Amino acid sequence: MGSNTSDTEENRLNWPSIILDSIKRLNPWLLKDNLVMFVTELTFFIVFIMAVDPTLIPKVSSASENGFYAIVALILIITVWFSTLSDSIAEAQIRNTASSLRKMKEQMTAKRLKSSNRNNFEVVPSDQLRRGDLVLIDHGEKVPIDSEVIEGIAMVDESLLTGESANVRKSVGTTLLGGSVVTTDSLVARVSSNPDETYVSKLINLVESSSRPKTPNEIALSVLIAGFTAIFSIIIIALLFLGITLDLGIDLAVLIALYVCLLPTTIGALLPAIGISGINRMSVKRIIAKSGKAIEASGDTDALLLDKTGTITKGMRKAVRFIPSGKHTEREVGEAALLSSWDDDTPEGKSIVELSYNLGFIPHSFSTLDRSEFEEFSAATRRSSIKMSDTREFLLPKGGRGILQRKRLRRKFEPGLQQPDLEIVKGAPDAIIEYVKNKPPDFDSILTKISEDGATIMGVAEAGDVLGFIKLKDEVKPGVKEKIRALRDMDIEVVMVTGDQPQTAGIISKDVGIDDFIAKARPETKYELVKEEQKAGKIVSMIGDGTNDAPALSVADVGLAMASGTEPAKEAANMVDLESNPSKIIDVVMLGKQILMTRGTVTTFSIANDIAKYFVIVPIMFGALPELGALNLMHLSPHVAVLSALVYNAIIIPALIPLALRGTVFKPSSTMKIFLKNVMIYGLGGIILPFIAIKFFAILITVLGGVA
Amino acid sequence: MLTLEDLFVVVLVWGIVIICAWFLSKYLFFVFMGARNRLDRLFLPIENLIYWLGGVDSSRKMGWKEYFKALFYLNAAQAIIAFFILMFQQSLPLNPMHYPGMSWSLALNTVLSFSSNTNLQHYNGETTLSYLSQMSAIQFLQFTSAATGLAAGVAVIRGFAGKAKTIGNFYYDYVRSLTRVLLPLAFIAAIVLIALGVPQSIGGYSSVPTLQRGAYEILYNGPIASLVSIMQLGTNGGGYFGANSAYPLQNPTQLSNLFEIGLMMFIPTAILFLFGRTVGDNREGRTLFLSAYAIYGIDLVIAFLSTTNIAQGIEVRFGGVTSAFWTVTTTAFTTGSLNASLGAFNPIVILTAFFGMLIQGAPGGIGIGAMYLIMYVIVTIFLVGLMAGRTPEYLGIKIEGRDVKLAIAAFLTHPIIILIPTVLAFAIGAEKAVGVTSNSTGFTTIFYEFTSAAANNGSDFLGAAGNTVFFNVATGIVMWLGRYLPILFLLAIADSVAVRKRSPSQGLKTGNISFVVILVVSIFILTVLTFFPFLVLGPVLQFLQGFNTSVGGVIFGF
Repeated sequence: MGSNTSDTEENRLNWPSIILDSIKRLNPWLLKDNLVMFVTELTFFIVFIMAVDPTLIPKVSSASENGFYAIVALILIITVWFSTLSDSIAEAQIRNTASSLRKMKEQMTAKRLKSSNRNNFEVVPSDQLRRGDLVLIDHGEKVPIDSEVIEGIAMVDESLLTGESANVRKSVGTTLLGGSVVTTDSLVARVSSNPDETYVSKLINLVESSSRPKTPNEIALSVLIAGFTAIFSIIIIALLFLGITLDLGIDLAVLIALYVCLLPTTIGALLPAIGISGINRMSVKRIIAKSGKAIEASGDTDALLLDKTGTITKGMRKAVRFIPSGKHTEREVGEAALLSSWDDDTPEGKSIVELSYNLGFIPHSFSTLDRSEFEEFSAATRRSSIKMSDTREFLLPKGGRGILQRKRLRRKFEPGLQQPDLEIVKGAPDAIIEYVKNKPPDFDSILTKISEDGATIMGVAEAGDVLGFIKLKDEVKPGVKEKIRALRDMDIEVVMVTGDQPQTAGIISKDVGIDDFIAKARPETKYELVKEEQKAGKIVSMIGDGTNDAPALSVADVGLAMASGTEPAKEAANMVDLESNPSKIIDVVMLGKQILMTRGTVTTFSIANDIAKYFVIVPIMFGALPELGALNLMHLSPHVAVLSALVYNAIIIPALIPLALRGTVFKPSSTMKIFLKNVMIYGLGGIILPFIAIKFFAILITVLGGVA
Repeated sequence: MLTLEDLFVVVLVWGIVIICAWFLSKYLFFVFMGARNRLDRLFLPIENLIYWLGGVDSSRKMGWKEYFKALFYLNAAQAIIAFFILMFQQSLPLNPMHYPGMSWSLALNTVLSFSSNTNLQHYNGETTLSYLSQMSAIQFLQFTSAATGLAAGVAVIRGFAGKAKTIGNFYYDYVRSLTRVLLPLAFIAAIVLIALGVPQSIGGYSSVPTLQRGAYEILYNGPIASLVSIMQLGTNGGGYFGANSAYPLQNPTQLSNLFEIGLMMFIPTAILFLFGRTVGDNREGRTLFLSAYAIYGIDLVIAFLSTTNIAQGIEVRFGGVTSAFWTVTTTAFTTGSLNASLGAFNPIVILTAFFGMLIQGAPGGIGIGAMYLIMYVIVTIFLVGLMAGRTPEYLGIKIEGRDVKLAIAAFLTHPIIILIPTVLAFAIGAEKAVGVTSNSTGFTTIFYEFTSAAANNGSDFLGAAGNTVFFNVATGIVMWLGRYLPILFLLAIADSVAVRKRSPSQGLKTGNISFVVILVVSIFILTVLTFFPFLVLGPVLQFLQGFNTSVGGVIFGF
């Protein structure tokens, strides 16, 4: 996974202050949390004393080596500085990100009513709303905050919050979810909770806060590092005593050089930066994690619950085809559908109009439909209808074809008919049958045929006659298919959750390559599913936004809530996406993996490096044992060997800072494959690279020494 | 020279042992994992009687603390009994040679040594111990310590398998180890050894005339076969004789030699398979088995090559290859019995012996080897497993901070208890008292002494010369710490993972051959990182100092 390119502009770093900060961090008191670096700084002080006056530490130093000790001391403190520098850079990055998050924080506005009069309102930022305030939400506007309807009836699109693609009818007393969109009419609602803005701000502060509790893996890794530090400390102390008692001719500075080289300085130096940069990379993607633990858990995801609507599909059903029934033509269906949808402000309705336009199925003079009577879709009848009582306006077509023309003609021959001249009904196929009361013979066969690919079908009928069908399909979001394939490659089980019929769900899931789906999901389904998966020992990640999702979000190992979602959902989740893009859960999983992987690669690399360092320093360490020269694989003289090993040990830290901040690059494939590839690069590479690099530094030092 | 015949013999021994161990692992599974079988009718009454006599409940699930306490107190009580037998053997029966009691420090060292399955011997058995001491103190502890190791190993395996949600009950594991595994097997092995010519008698030593007129030699006759069988089978290693299995009465023929090698490999190998069976995936057992045998095999090859080229380390009755085979095997399985003198070996063979003891899991002692391998797996998985982009997991168990802490503690035990006393010995000049000079050979001797003690191996350079208060006490402490601390740590891990949630999907597949390679490399690296400078000061330096004189050095020339 490459780095996010968008972070380059926001993360213009202030280098002077970073360097100043990194130098301040050299204070031993501030280093006490980083064992390896603390110990390294301690050794710096010892060698520094030796450089000042070798006689202060007798037996294991020689008076003529002041210069050598000074160089060793210098490299040691630079090693520590490289470590503090990586911390400073990571901290600076995250501060930049946090401030850009604050800037981007969506400034949603709301119409706050000053009195009960609908026209007397002021426009205020939604974060100024308080519980009890009355707000006016007009047609097409977003509900600024969770509230309760106190006046009006409207259709509301909650698809992003609940996953239900169908609009919901809201009347007095019902609850409006913050983030849902009023698609028809207008409503007056009473704010039922204080704005979430303060909550999101709190989260952003969390990103920036310097007191991050260590994640479980960081704790375990710190234990491992402490263990290695203990082992090498024992070795060095044992060697020191043996060297003195057996007169092996050792020099404390050389011994310390060996010690610092063996210490896992690389991972010790970069571990904090890796954690911070992980949170930073999340934040750059506009996702705020409440804890590093959640980021880590996302990397461990075994099962991922995805809502169909909003995550896999765009959440908007679009009309794609008109299918005539019986002797009717496609045009008739199209024109009728357009008429029936003209006043329908739901996304489906709009898409039907759009399709008719695009296909050119435009009845003449439909502009006068204003005089018609539109009956909204209702859950009880599951159909909507349009009645046009005044048909004079329809007598226009010049060469007009289709339904209007026939209607006109019919009217002509049946004057004075009192019933509505034209009533077009559209809705669920069975609701249409209910309305027309007689089923065309080809009804079922067409229906089965066209709903095969998971599409939603609406029937269109006029005056007791089924004209045909409208086929609506929810579009799969671009890129989702590839991301799901990547997840499956990494052995993550993807489960699609939808309220659709099993057949429809099956087709969509097959289409995007998901192996498992839960159809006809009820609000509590997700919770049950999370529990069930966890019982099987799996780590479960999910997204959610509705209050319905809150229980599931709180039990899931990783719960990503949408910023547009309801307050309880956000509080229950351990991550919040400020951009409210549910597909980003997939990126979260990738990022989690990357952070774990980066820690792993640097750790392995750090330990693998030790072998070369042993072979460089041990052969020259015992002045009294020249026979060990046979082990001196790279034929280095004592001073050059020590300095080149130390220089390598120091330089590798800044060399790996980009890796630590950007993360290990990986291609999604099976866990074992990724693992083995990393073992080859960072394990085997970690063994071989230092041999080459140290030899290179040795040559460099020899040349420089020759020049000087 | 390493000939094809020698190689064939090695392969034959391996093959027979591995096949027998596979079947033994089936049997062990029935014995320990709660399956009913026909043998219950024979053994259950006996075991129930033992539980009743001991007043213990063998069906109660124990936590790690309780399990360890039971294990430790029982071992301590047994050691105390043995201590008094050794100190006061002159007043006890079955002492036809009227040997006096041991000094306190030697008796202490001996009981700590035998109760910890180490069998480091700072005495020569045939001239120090009465028949009663050999049979009760020594052999008794050889049985109990092997049973303790087996019980601990089984408990750790049970915990990791997680099916029982517990590490089990110590008394159950311990008693069954004795009644159903060690006693029957040792009995059979003793009969075979007798058939191969090892004496079994309590008739006292007899003086026999030699070919030289008028010269007599004492024939150290005794209950040897029964002791040798459990000494090898239980990876104890403490022989009847000071010269151990180099002494003809303990190891009379080439066949008995190979049989004894096979005996020490038998149970530890079977336990590795038992792991796979218990976990419910033989590939997991295979991983431990292949890793352990790969390290063991690498050590063998190195030892063979160096033995081949330098005419050293040859026990004339068996030849260089079989001597090296025994030495590598006895250290790899941390048995500690010897069929040749360590001092005569090429330093490179000693280096491989060090590896066996420092690793302890290649394949390691009875019960303990598997435990160490699991520890290495945990450390390795944590060290490299993060690179898979998931929290490291083993058998679906997420490795947590506490597990790493305990595994590292177990791993740290070794360097601490080896290096501190080694340094201390030189610092106080204790090495001079046992006739060791402070050069590379001397360093090897002392370093080996504490390594062997810490690894509960028991082979050493010093032998009876090590009978000084310092070495008796120091190695005694090291042996017990090296024995019980890792058991404690591993039981604690096993107990916590026994009840932990397991993920069904394994990101990092440990049943895989590629993981075997990673594990082997990681074990070598971890060991080398910890002990490299000391191995350099000891056997490596010895080798390099002899570099000019040894032709074979060319092979290992750096």
